[in-house]
Amino acid sequence: MSDRSLHGSTNTTWKSIDELAHGPQETGEFAPGTTSAPMLDSTVSRRGFMALVSASMALTAAACRRPEQKLIPTVKSLQNATPGLPLYYTSAYMHRNVAYGAVIKTREGRPIKVKGNELHASNCGTASAEMQASLLSLYDPDRIRRPRHGSGQTSYDAAVQKIADAVTEAQGAGKKVAIVVDEHCSPTLTQLLAQITTAMPWVTVTTMPSIVSDNAARANASVLGIDGVIVPDLSKASVIVSVDADFLGTDKLALHHTGRWAARRKPTKDSPTMSHVTVAEAQYSLTGMNADARVRLHPSQLEAFLGALEAELAGAAAIGGSLAATASAETKSAATAAAARLRAAAPKNEAVVLVGEHLSPRAHAVAISINAALGSVGTGKIIDTASVLPNSNAKGAAIAQLRSDMESGAVHAVVFCDVNPEYAADRGMKTAMAKVPMIAAINLYEDETASLAKVSIPAAHWLESWGTAVAFDGTITVQQPMIAPLCEGVPSTPDILIALAKKINPAFLGEMTTYAEFVKSWVETSILPISGGATWTKVLQDGVVKTTSVAAGAASMNLAAVSSLPTATYPTGMAVLAAPSLALYDGKLANNGWLQELPDPVTKITWDNVALISPKTAVQLGLAADTTPKVVIKANEQVITVSTASGTIDLPVMVQPGMADNVIVTQLGYGRTSTGAVCDGVGSNAYALGAMSYVAPKSITVIDGQRHRIATTQQHHTLDDGHGERPVAKYMTLGDVAKGDFSVVAEHFNAQGPDGKPLAHGEKGEGNFLTPLSATADYKYKGHRWGMVIDMSQCTGCSSCVVACQSENNIPVVGKEQVLLGREMHWIRLDRYYTGDMDTPGAVVEPMLCQHCENAPCENVCPVAATTHSPEGLNEMTYNRCVGTRYCLNNCPYKVRRFNFLNYAKGDERKPLDLVFNPEVTNRFRGVMEKCTFCVQRLHEAKWNARDNGRSRVLDGEAVTACQEACPAGAIIFGDMNDPKSRVSMTQKDDRGFRVLSDINVRPSVTYLAKVVNAPATEKAAGAAH
Amino acid sequence: MTVVQEQQRLQHSSHEEPVREELVLGNPSLRDVTARIASIVESKITPKYLATLSVTGGMAALGLFALYYTITTGIGVWGLNNPIGWGWDITNFVFWIGIGHAGTLISAILFLFRQKWRTAINRSAEAMTIFAVICALTMVLSHTGRPWLFYWLLPYPNQMQMWINFRSPLAWDVFAVNTYFTVSALFWFVGLIPDLATLRNYVKSNVAKKVYGVLALGWTGSTRHWHHYEIAYMILAGISTPLVLSVHSVVSFDFTVGILPGWHTTIFPPYFVAGAIFSGFAMVMTLLVITREILDLKQFITMKHLENMNKIMLATGMMVGYAYAMEMFIAWYSGSDWERWIFINRAMGDYAWAYWTMVLCNVISPQVYWFKKLRRNLPLMFVISIFINIGMWFERFTIIATTLHHDFLPASWGYYSPTWVEISIFIGTFGIFLSLFLLFAKFVPVIAIAEIKSILPGAQPKHHHGDHHADASAH
Repeated sequence: MSDRSLHGSTNTTWKSIDELAHGPQETGEFAPGTTSAPMLDSTVSRRGFMALVSASMALTAAACRRPEQKLIPTVKSLQNATPGLPLYYTSAYMHRNVAYGAVIKTREGRPIKVKGNELHASNCGTASAEMQASLLSLYDPDRIRRPRHGSGQTSYDAAVQKIADAVTEAQGAGKKVAIVVDEHCSPTLTQLLAQITTAMPWVTVTTMPSIVSDNAARANASVLGIDGVIVPDLSKASVIVSVDADFLGTDKLALHHTGRWAARRKPTKDSPTMSHVTVAEAQYSLTGMNADARVRLHPSQLEAFLGALEAELAGAAAIGGSLAATASAETKSAATAAAARLRAAAPKNEAVVLVGEHLSPRAHAVAISINAALGSVGTGKIIDTASVLPNSNAKGAAIAQLRSDMESGAVHAVVFCDVNPEYAADRGMKTAMAKVPMIAAINLYEDETASLAKVSIPAAHWLESWGTAVAFDGTITVQQPMIAPLCEGVPSTPDILIALAKKINPAFLGEMTTYAEFVKSWVETSILPISGGATWTKVLQDGVVKTTSVAAGAASMNLAAVSSLPTATYPTGMAVLAAPSLALYDGKLANNGWLQELPDPVTKITWDNVALISPKTAVQLGLAADTTPKVVIKANEQVITVSTASGTIDLPVMVQPGMADNVIVTQLGYGRTSTGAVCDGVGSNAYALGAMSYVAPKSITVIDGQRHRIATTQQHHTLDDGHGERPVAKYMTLGDVAKGDFSVVAEHFNAQGPDGKPLAHGEKGEGNFLTPLSATADYKYKGHRWGMVIDMSQCTGCSSCVVACQSENNIPVVGKEQVLLGREMHWIRLDRYYTGDMDTPGAVVEPMLCQHCENAPCENVCPVAATTHSPEGLNEMTYNRCVGTRYCLNNCPYKVRRFNFLNYAKGDERKPLDLVFNPEVTNRFRGVMEKCTFCVQRLHEAKWNARDNGRSRVLDGEAVTACQEACPAGAIIFGDMNDPKSRVSMTQKDDRGFRVLSDINVRPSVTYLAKVVNAPATEKAAGAAH
Repeated sequence: MTVVQEQQRLQHSSHEEPVREELVLGNPSLRDVTARIASIVESKITPKYLATLSVTGGMAALGLFALYYTITTGIGVWGLNNPIGWGWDITNFVFWIGIGHAGTLISAILFLFRQKWRTAINRSAEAMTIFAVICALTMVLSHTGRPWLFYWLLPYPNQMQMWINFRSPLAWDVFAVNTYFTVSALFWFVGLIPDLATLRNYVKSNVAKKVYGVLALGWTGSTRHWHHYEIAYMILAGISTPLVLSVHSVVSFDFTVGILPGWHTTIFPPYFVAGAIFSGFAMVMTLLVITREILDLKQFITMKHLENMNKIMLATGMMVGYAYAMEMFIAWYSGSDWERWIFINRAMGDYAWAYWTMVLCNVISPQVYWFKKLRRNLPLMFVISIFINIGMWFERFTIIATTLHHDFLPASWGYYSPTWVEISIFIGTFGIFLSLFLLFAKFVPVIAIAEIKSILPGAQPKHHHGDHHADASAH
């Protein structure tokens, strides 16, 4: 269809003056390098039109289609497509080389929601923010639509031919061809690439992740003989010491870890036990925010802390003597405290030390030594040598080899598959690329690398492609395409590679022509026989298949090898670190509004990366006069130029309490330049600093007078507003729980008993409310009464719920300018409150959503009755009726109502972005209020299902809200409060339960369980975040 | 002779009147009075007048453009955000509604209390009421997200079978403000009828004669007309009187019914009414000082009038000051941390500048009126009236912004500042107000001709130092 010959040979028709002036290819609708869809082009000549018509007639007659591929819905889902009802399919989401099981909800053939697959051990039905947001990228209007050669568009076939020609030329010239892929965990892709290199020995395959961290793999290779990253099982750990490891935050396995970690964070009066987490770090990470004890260390002391820890625990067998040597007195005493806790848990093999990926291989080796000393290494232990992350071997050497090959001219062609070295890698790769005659890119976007390539081919999104993924525990998942590629004829990356190989060697793969066949045949021949009787259909239905292959034997430990491992020398003065971003990770999905607008759980920043510095550092850099909260926040939004040996970038400053002094931490994934309308120009490219681990800056200069506005969703100056002690986000200690002292959750004003007299402090009144004086009797909820419990002890702040809600409820992205004005639309937000002092603050994360108050203050003030109470206890919002007085917003004590100040939904109407909308949820026009509905559409669905099954009530667990479904920690419980046996009713009675602002008698339907910090009992009774 | 005059005569005959200052200076004849006031209508439109009108018209046009932009684009062009749903829009609404109150107070309550000095200023104060309510309606109609659906706030039978929510103070507002506007307009118009007839007889142009004739509704000045007129006027005064108290009480319910600290308080209704009268008088003062000067009405609007108004401002200013102090006291006395904090924040937080501007303008500045000399100082009273206008605007702004920007959960706190659009709309309402007032001053008798005649020195037979001119009834 895209054949240009069908178009008029001369430009005899025209649509606009612009077109006459520039010719049809330069009209403004699409960016240079892309073509408009042929049907949108009007320059079809009469002859061409006849040809098109006859060709399509012929096609119809021949009924020639692509080979039919059957997708199998999950067992729980309907089995056949029914208009108006969703179908669920299993698939796999690869977060780089970590496999997560996915269940995709489709409506009328289009995917509208990505959830977790309950059967998959890595995520157990939950989903990360990125995984869910990747749905939006499927419909991204900025994706490439047509292959490009040079500056003109070409056909898919011609583009592949161009690459094939280059590969053949390379063979003739005796040069190499490199295929560069991102890190992945697909066994079929590994196989396919292996077959390609076997068939064409001059082709090499290099895995090049954006964030290369070989340290753990190198240590494991030397000490344990395993070239890879071992995945610890944190559900087995009762004492965790993390040295700059953000295992709950930016770690690739954070989704997995969060669930395991949270399992150990539910202390009750009867069983007052929970894990203890010590975090020693220089930054203030999400994990640090959730730590029970936090040790603030300068980067130069991080590995010293580890060495000191080892000295305490491994004694004479310690191998980290060189690290321990530099430990300061404070570091040593902190290590002693941490060691004591670890030692206490060691007899049960429940203690573990985790080390940040950016720390040196030697540090990782020392950690292995400590863990071994703690008895936590071995089969079935926390560090099980069989749990190795697929494809996590050290890659640095191979990448360096490729680079030197490119620079020496030994490489004739490079095919970049879904990788973006021009953006991510250091300068070396950039100069090397200039020496390669043929650069080809296969990608979703015409990104920084693709725009340098001679040939650029669009690739299919993961929801459009077949594939496989293997998890660290050997679980295999088949990735099913949910939709035919939105740009017709766009194949998946492996399909393109197969086509390429077939052009060079037609016998490649024999009869097989597509990757789909390759996947199916691999599963049938390699997996099914060792799966204990699974069938292809069952594999697709379940989305997981466990193989019975023997696990790797126990590794032998060779601690002596540590001497060969390099140490790192961290700067003793100012140090710079570029860490993965919590929302964007490495920036691959940067052109995604949901992720760009997702507030960082710690800093609450959207749409930017910044230089995080401690208050003292701010003073030291001359950005603020002193460290008092009101003065030091003046450093925020000033711009500094950070210069390292690798590069220089400008960053706005944000003062972050809890960070070590003399450290600048910035985030990767921002500063894209030529990828899409969403991400281009947002933030600065921190890869340029080459600061994957702490490096010394060459210079840091303050740009006088320049300010860069930072869009946060919590006010900049909540560092200290003098807002006093507010009993809003309550927390207590494990000691309090053990003592049975739950006075913290008692009312702010003592509850009154039925006689109107105040109850004793801590004693709970009827229904935990200030007994109201009401002229009318309370409404009796006869059927369901929906309610929610949120356990703040489980919630880490990972923000999965925010994206889950955004995806489920068609919440618009408003953009940085609107966030700056305070108009973000998220229906659930994660309120972050610091506790303690500015140097070592703790934090409480309080998810805040509509509380569905029984005495809702929003309801009685609406003049047009647009927000009303349902007989099931929901506070309902009737969009059609809303005239937008905003009175309800003003009167909401939780400020969870969101007003459509402008026509935000319009921004999402760029085609085909509109396909992402959930058809069950109305899109809101400007001037209308909206808020959390407790996913009322899901409640209706559950009720219809119950009715279809002859039941009058929805069973517990049948109605699940989107936030609850996604939460990796299981912190959100939703259900019927009228059912005494429902989980929500049971957990509501937890001793830690309280309702936010209960003293104003609005009677919220959401119960919070106070956060518990593993610490001794507090002296003072009332502790509340402020 | 009018009923009023009759009653007054009876009154005066029963007791000896103390020595009082003249309400009309220069002892003009009745004919002089008519000529003096009606000649304003007959005089030529001066370039100065046109220039002033075009400035105020320009302001109105700017405001209307800003409104058009708001309605076509969305409330997002204002500075509002998620914690702060109301800003200048409702501040201006309450401000303008408050301005209106002086008019009603002067025309209705002072009338019923037989405060004769009101006669010289009631016409312009009433006109001001109506224009201010028009501005308030402009604000309140345009502030919603979907203003084209404003009629949904009215209880009318419809196919949706939807009734309005009678529990909402905004629904009460609709009734209160509509009643207020209707009654004020009627009251004003009824009071105008005899004067319109006078003008009909006075003007020379045929077109003007026709227009005034139609508006005069066939008034001939017969005793029967006067009789009915006086009764109607009295009844309307009676109806208007409770409105002085009710309208701003209902407006204050917008806040008091809310559960927010700083809003949820019982002192608001009396405090708002006192504030409304305070601000209304200040606005009347601002306008009269100018009108009196430009139209040379010193004869009718004497220093005594101005001084009386200053006394009222001193009294109401003290009431407002008391309310400010009492709010602080109750916040402390309630024992509620939320209340305590919000009031400390009001005085010391992000909007402290607004709070102290308010206190300075409303409480401190009127204190000068304790001294008679200062009460009668024309430039000073003009400046103070401007101060009070500013102060009362900031009072509403303080109440709205400080409460909304920092309420219960610190995580959802915000800050609000207006955009050029909101500022333009505010300027626009002043443009509308002043343009209407200018048109009024030119084409309608700014002083009630018929009424003022009743308070001429000669209108009272037993006047002490009257020169015993011809008795008013003789004419």
